[in-house]
Amino acid sequence: MNGLREHLGQSLRLHFRNRMALLYGYLFPLIFLVAFWVLYRHEKIPLIRHMGELLTVSVLGGACFGLPTTLVSERERGVWRRYRLTPLPTWAFVVSTAVARYVIILSAGALQLGLALSLGMPLPAHPLDLWVAFTVVSFAFIGLGLVLAMLADNVPAVQALGQCIFLPMLIIGGVAVQLASLPMWAQHVSAFFPGRYAVEALQACVSGGGLGSIGFCLLALALIGVAGCSAGAKLFRWDAAQRFAASTGKLWLLPVLGAWLAVGLLAELRDRIAVSIDGVTIAAPAAVMPAPVPLPPWTKITAKDVAALDFRVPSDGGVVSPFAGPEEEASDYTKDEVEAVRQGLLTWRPGLEGDDVQRVRNLVCVAAVPDSIQQPVERYLPPVVLSHLQDIYPKDKLIKILTWIVLHPEEGSVIDSIADLGVQGTAGDPDVVRERSYLYSIKFILRITGRIDR
Amino acid sequence: METKVHVTGLRKRYGTNEALRGVDLTLQAGEIFGLLGPNGAGKTTTLECVLGLRELDAGTVEICGLDARRFPREVKRKIGVALQATALQDKITPREALDLFGAFYPDPESTLRLLERFDLVAKADAAFETLSGGQRQRLALALAFVHRPEVVILDEPSTGLDPQARHELHAEIRRMKREGYTVLLSTHQLDEAAALCDRVAIIDQGRIVATGTPHELVATAASGQAVRFTASQPIDPLALARLPGLRALRCEGLSVHFETDEAAPVLTALMALLAAQGAALWELEVKRSSLEDVFLKLTRPENKSANLPG
Repeated sequence: MNGLREHLGQSLRLHFRNRMALLYGYLFPLIFLVAFWVLYRHEKIPLIRHMGELLTVSVLGGACFGLPTTLVSERERGVWRRYRLTPLPTWAFVVSTAVARYVIILSAGALQLGLALSLGMPLPAHPLDLWVAFTVVSFAFIGLGLVLAMLADNVPAVQALGQCIFLPMLIIGGVAVQLASLPMWAQHVSAFFPGRYAVEALQACVSGGGLGSIGFCLLALALIGVAGCSAGAKLFRWDAAQRFAASTGKLWLLPVLGAWLAVGLLAELRDRIAVSIDGVTIAAPAAVMPAPVPLPPWTKITAKDVAALDFRVPSDGGVVSPFAGPEEEASDYTKDEVEAVRQGLLTWRPGLEGDDVQRVRNLVCVAAVPDSIQQPVERYLPPVVLSHLQDIYPKDKLIKILTWIVLHPEEGSVIDSIADLGVQGTAGDPDVVRERSYLYSIKFILRITGRIDR
Repeated sequence: METKVHVTGLRKRYGTNEALRGVDLTLQAGEIFGLLGPNGAGKTTTLECVLGLRELDAGTVEICGLDARRFPREVKRKIGVALQATALQDKITPREALDLFGAFYPDPESTLRLLERFDLVAKADAAFETLSGGQRQRLALALAFVHRPEVVILDEPSTGLDPQARHELHAEIRRMKREGYTVLLSTHQLDEAAALCDRVAIIDQGRIVATGTPHELVATAASGQAVRFTASQPIDPLALARLPGLRALRCEGLSVHFETDEAAPVLTALMALLAAQGAALWELEVKRSSLEDVFLKLTRPENKSANLPG
């Protein structure tokens, strides 16, 4: 035990002396978080909806790149060959290495969470559950990292093998791109990757139902972790030349692949693959949406409520929520499209909805959808929509309804396409449409109340 | 005398290449035993098999009476090892390395004592990457002694060292001998083996081709004395060949080489011949056969038929 403890302590000390490791292990997750924050800072539902993804990326990087890179570089130098000449058993070195990596990943995750809190994210709903879920996620990915370390002969090979797992997991595994945005085939594929379960488990503990709602995810991650750690220990190589000494050694890769396969098949059998367009996942229906706050009807909105709104919005000339000025004319190319929308709005079915709030919400979507998919016409439609709204609603009523929408961006439904108005394209992510609706509602209020001239 | 290392019938094959073909070694307590051989002869493979770094195809290894295959952990407590290139993490310090490796054993030596013994106190808290080759080698030796071993195994310990560091290393190995350690060292430096080892074994192509003290090997295999001289003018080779007891004559311009069992009578006759031919003697060198001559004789392809005791 003394040897194990000393090796663990020394591994941590050496990690904290390695500038590159610090940069990769700590700074990289923080940069990732800040990037998310910058992208989504105007969302009313901010970072808390993305912490599952952000923490998963941190664990994935630390376990699948940091761990094997350290292990393989030490093996290449002959450090592990020297360890082998000591009486400490193999398992002790494996356990010590894995625990050291867990501590490193945990500290990186805590730092990331701390920064998110300092940027205004509310406290996680279930902090203790989050720690448990984080530990299980780390266990799964550390097992994977151990297997990578045993397969790779040198550090460049770690990078190559790591990317083979990292990139698919980010793109079609539900880690960096939300599952709801992916086509069905990718959602099926993601069920075979641990990344999806990691995001779900962590997110449920940050803003959802906690451990009670993620039994399947924890089981899947534990299974993948046990298979990875067992195979990593069995395939353990003390020096680079000692590769799968026994031919049966390679067979230890089968449990690893088998675990991924079993988890995916189980998910298929339990019909927990598809994710709805509203972003409400079957696996964690309450995981990603904050609980709606009961509020009085929009008619009770007061001038004080309006004045208290956060009017800090992106500039009209920027990429997010652009808004053409009164002097700006649409180009020849887009002029007809703008005119078609102006005429179409008069008879557009969603624009005739009986519920006033939903009706205005639908009309605001006519500005939000082209912006979310960056159509050339995007900056010319908001003035059209505002003009239409002012035509059909008295000023005070419109301000109250828009204020209600700003204060309750998550309510009601959003439209993801206005093809029936002649503007092609579909918004893949309803959250983005909600965010843009929020921004345009504020910009409309600014104009109606005279805070902005145009 | 107590046997500390007993290796019999060691065989190891890598694919079609038979690296070891039945190596036998016996080390007695307190002796320094040198394993000599050219590159690729099987020195490192032999040591790796003894250390348990490689699986044996056949043979037995006993360290301090313990079967190394059956009791690997106990055997590892008996031996201290300095590998050919001991690389540690760049940022680890000698003090930390000694503390770390000491923690792997039940009753380690004091770190401070090891730092003092191996003259590392001044560098105790310096990063490994900043140590010189000699300091790294001293740290490797210190790590080998961290658990007070009975047998010390050194794999080509002086490789890459400058003359000063090499001198210090030799002094340390002699100190081990004085303190009663049993040392098995592999080297391809013959002067090192001749200067340090009580006994040597010469290994070539996976076989031990000779074993004995350096003196015994020279006495048994040596071919007398080698003579080289340079004269002021070319000497008639036929006249030289007629000198008594001279063999392996080779003339290269003004320089002449030959071997003889007894140098004195040949040199007397040579002086007379030079005087008769009116030539002056510019240089003269008489050399007794060395371990190097034995080594070359036994390991050169054309000399493989040589048969020595051992």
